[in-house]
Amino acid sequence: MYAMIKVEGLTRVYGTFTAVDDVSFTAEAGKVTGFLGPNGAGKSTTMRIMVGLTNPTKGRATINGSLYADLPNPGRHVGVLLDASAQHDGRTGREVLTLAAMTMGLPKSRVDEMLELVSLTPSEAKRRIKNYSLGMKQRLGIAHALIGDPKVLILDEPANGLDPAGIRWMRGLLKEYADRGGTVLLSSHLLHEVEQIADELILIGNGRIVAEGTKDTILASQGTAGQSLVTSLDNEALTVALKAKGYSVEPLGTGMRVSAAPAEVGRAALESNVVLTDLRDGGAGLEDIFLQLTAETQRENVAQIHAEGVSA
Amino acid sequence: MSAVSVAPSTPLPAVTKVPFGRLLLVEWRKMTDTRAGRALLIISAGMLLLAMGIVVLVAALNDNFSLGLSTWSSILTIPLSLLTPVLAIMIVTQEWGQRTNMVTFSLEPSRLRVMAAKLVAVVAFALALIAVALLCGIVGNALAAAVGGYDASWSIDGQVLGWTIAQQLLYFVSAFGIAMCLLSTPFSIVVVYVDQLLLPLMVWSTLYFIFDWAADLIPFIDMGYAMSPFMGAGGMMPDGTQLPDPGTQEVLALICSIFLWVVVPVVLGAYRVLKSEVK
Repeated sequence: MYAMIKVEGLTRVYGTFTAVDDVSFTAEAGKVTGFLGPNGAGKSTTMRIMVGLTNPTKGRATINGSLYADLPNPGRHVGVLLDASAQHDGRTGREVLTLAAMTMGLPKSRVDEMLELVSLTPSEAKRRIKNYSLGMKQRLGIAHALIGDPKVLILDEPANGLDPAGIRWMRGLLKEYADRGGTVLLSSHLLHEVEQIADELILIGNGRIVAEGTKDTILASQGTAGQSLVTSLDNEALTVALKAKGYSVEPLGTGMRVSAAPAEVGRAALESNVVLTDLRDGGAGLEDIFLQLTAETQRENVAQIHAEGVSA
Repeated sequence: MSAVSVAPSTPLPAVTKVPFGRLLLVEWRKMTDTRAGRALLIISAGMLLLAMGIVVLVAALNDNFSLGLSTWSSILTIPLSLLTPVLAIMIVTQEWGQRTNMVTFSLEPSRLRVMAAKLVAVVAFALALIAVALLCGIVGNALAAAVGGYDASWSIDGQVLGWTIAQQLLYFVSAFGIAMCLLSTPFSIVVVYVDQLLLPLMVWSTLYFIFDWAADLIPFIDMGYAMSPFMGAGGMMPDGTQLPDPGTQEVLALICSIFLWVVVPVVLGAYRVLKSEVK
């Protein structure tokens, strides 16, 4: 049985504001699905609807075919981390996990296992959450999501506040989880966090899905694949060789932009005996596409920042 | 980083609904596992002991002073009625204030079951506190009689005791309902204290003395006034006159005031908890 998340035509309207606008997607078992969008794009609202904390105006979200509210003991099916700070300041980390274990009917030993898993030391676990750093709260939140041994993980900005080592650790953890058949949906507003771990990406802006698929299909669909930036010891000879192969070449700084994949440019250089000093992919990165697709919903005018950046 | 596997187990475990008893245990635990919760319990116990101590002291210092168990129970009701509504309020509003409701309702999506577990847990708690207060009354009665040098009176009217406990519980459930309506600790505490303490003591009592219509009207809108005719023979109205036996009007007033302050807040509050967005 594959545990998957299916979202169909989900819409949530607040007065005249549409936070989530006809969003449909599937997060499959065995994969990490990244849910990406700028602040206020509707990621958190969508996730809250998935776990029944917000009612949708239209549409529905199901886990394994059933609504979250219909899951018996849902903590055993779905691990949820929506906001690591949403814990009582006065409770200790251990107490938070103990309450979860009690609700789900799990043995107390599970609490220690989870504390060990997320590397919270026994003395840290005894501290009140008031004295936790954001990174520690995130670790506790991940432990809380995993304690019921669920098939599905729904994590809202889980990397927030984690240090680089922590982010790498979480990446490995989620990857392993998905590799063994789990379904992971995680959101982020930071592209590079998600890019390296997600098998599938869903880009959302202004409550709408603007692009989805693997990193490569998104890049390809935006028509920016197959561009290279090249610099050589003999740019003129290389230009001739590339043009002979039918590629367009335009000078750019000390080098050139070529309408061919780096492999083709390398081959042309080899054939014409030109020494390359720099050759790289000149296609727009995922980040450019992300910014471009969500431009309307960005708080800052991206084009303007770019211009200022250049003149500065 | 760690040897513990995070792999989801296969096949799916045969999982059943979270039993109500487990929700109840969790809610019971949540009342005492924070510093604020523990402080409230310690203060409650402290107030009971303080009240007991003061009465024993008065008994010791006055020569012509004696009091029985029934007086004790009405004295100890005061610290109880001051503090227990806060317990009923906190168990609800804390979840919203600290935003733990996100966790609570994602582990048990049926919000009504969670609220029912909270209500049962906190009522059980209140009953335990009342039992402690009675115990304090018994100890205090014996103590006061010993230091005051008189024979302790152990007579207590079962009807009075029963109504006193019922009244405490109704106030308690009323506070729980108001907390569900407002979902905010400070607002709820203010509204409950104004309704249960300030209005009866400062406003209703004055109106009761001055206007004839007030004496007829107030029992319909205040539970305390509505209940006092049922407190049994020997009960006094606030103006000191002897109580008549409760008739149809008294019963209607009781039903009306309970509807107004218990049924309405609980129903409206449950609706709000069910419909509100948790974020």
